[in-house]
Amino acid sequence: MPMVISGRLGQRGRERLLNTAAYALLILAILIVFFPLAWMLSVSFRPNIEVMQMPPEWLPQIFTLDGYKKIFTTPRYLVVFLNTMVISLVVTLLSLVLGAMAAYALARFNFAGQRAVLMFLITTQMFPLVLLCIPYFRIFITFGLYDTRTSLVIVYLTFTLPFCILMLRSYFINIPRDIEEAAMVDGCSRLGAIFRTLVPISYPAFVGAGLYTFLLAWNEFLFAVVLIESWENRVLTMAIYSLMAEFVTDWNAMMAFSVLASLPLVVAFIFLQRYMVQGMTAGALTS
Amino acid sequence: MLTFKQKYREELLALSFLWPALLILVALLVYPLGDVVRLSFYDSNLQREVWVGLGNYVALFNDPLFWKAFIQTVVFTFFSVVLHLVIGLALALLLNMHLNATFRSLARGLLIVPWLLAPTVAGMIWVLMLQPFGVFNGLLVSLGFLDPNGTISWLGDPSTALGSVTAMNVWRAFPFFMVMLLAGLQAIPKQLYEAAEIDGATLWEQFWHITLPQLRGVMTTIVLLDSIWTFRAFDPVYVMTGGGPAHSSEVLATAIYFDGFQKLKFGYASAQAVVMFVVLFIVSAIYVRRTMRNV
Repeated sequence: MPMVISGRLGQRGRERLLNTAAYALLILAILIVFFPLAWMLSVSFRPNIEVMQMPPEWLPQIFTLDGYKKIFTTPRYLVVFLNTMVISLVVTLLSLVLGAMAAYALARFNFAGQRAVLMFLITTQMFPLVLLCIPYFRIFITFGLYDTRTSLVIVYLTFTLPFCILMLRSYFINIPRDIEEAAMVDGCSRLGAIFRTLVPISYPAFVGAGLYTFLLAWNEFLFAVVLIESWENRVLTMAIYSLMAEFVTDWNAMMAFSVLASLPLVVAFIFLQRYMVQGMTAGALTS
Repeated sequence: MLTFKQKYREELLALSFLWPALLILVALLVYPLGDVVRLSFYDSNLQREVWVGLGNYVALFNDPLFWKAFIQTVVFTFFSVVLHLVIGLALALLLNMHLNATFRSLARGLLIVPWLLAPTVAGMIWVLMLQPFGVFNGLLVSLGFLDPNGTISWLGDPSTALGSVTAMNVWRAFPFFMVMLLAGLQAIPKQLYEAAEIDGATLWEQFWHITLPQLRGVMTTIVLLDSIWTFRAFDPVYVMTGGGPAHSSEVLATAIYFDGFQKLKFGYASAQAVVMFVVLFIVSAIYVRRTMRNV
């Protein structure tokens, strides 16, 4: 008996030790992972003369908001934020509406070719996007849509729409169809029943899919590089890349721009973390 | 006798909801794929097209630059995925221990942040840090690992360029693995561990015989997905090195872009894109088969 007790105590002590190690290792991991982010923030507040120093100063010696001022006082930088916001919002809205319709069809009806459609949707997520650039470039020139924001909205649907369909479908499938059928018996049309029952119940899936779609559109770069030419149609990711050539060593303004470009997503994440993680992980589990 | 409308009622109803999304996706994916395959048999600058048959493919297989980009894409993908998995698993295991609930969700939230950044933004931060007089060298000098006069140009040296891009990519995308594996760990029934403890299994044995086998499904899925995503990645390389110096960090996606949109050899670029598509398709087929089993 005493043997058992001492064995247990030993084990508990070891567990406590392991837990302390877990805390220490996680804090270390957070410090390492956050270092580049902290450096971005720190450089965005220091004059350029303080950026490349050997050994480096961890905190700005002279605190300055010049980088931010430069961005907020230059209309052609601000238009880029507006473009990105509008494009991302329109893409999100279209993906959710069209995606929900398709997801409803896949979740509620049994029809010939259903598996083929699902397989097609899953396969589209594996497409090498650079392959699509060449035909898109050609097609959009032909249709007069090259160098327009509309072209970006259209092509972003190629990767946001399949994701939204699959995620919403997997959510709809787990909602009993009796709920809609009851509403339809009560005199609702099918569409009325969908909007009154299915859509409100599935709001977590809509929020999750919507946030992730917004993130994908906000962060996209390749299509923007290929399809947009003029400054007034540019989006953030592309502007940041062009600014590297323009600013050369103006890292202060570059990092201020980067901070501002990341801020909307980080703020959304702070408030909607649960939904966002759900959306981000659903891509891998859309079954 | 059923009328057409009665017989295909479900199909017609489904189609009425499905057609806008399907039409868009077929127009945006199937038609362009056909166009690229067609273009790969031509010598084209998009103005003038000359039929060359398999000429582009023959040139491709004899092009050392293509093979260099191909091998570097495989190396970039391999190290990115392996490090994502190792770091993601380690952090997921740590987060799954008996921690304070607030600390756990705070730590998880903080560790996810790099994943929110655009690869472009993340790449830019790393370009800044990896400059010869940047903070990374500064850190190494401060710690005594590096002589102040012998600073390294991480992105300007052919031997470190691809490794630096890989490091950035590992930093930005490991949270995906961490989150997925943590969800996987939380789904393992506690009784399995309790039973193993009664049988006197050590922590290592529990990890090896319970945790890893239980995580196998999630791990295979995310490794396949990440391999596909990394193999086709364009942004990190384009932003950080542009494939240089001297093509030392060139990957297929950037090679295709440069051949097409800078050298205006669209036929040749298309042939490379078709080869890339075929390679990706093989990996995708495994993923699609796995996913379709649960559909």
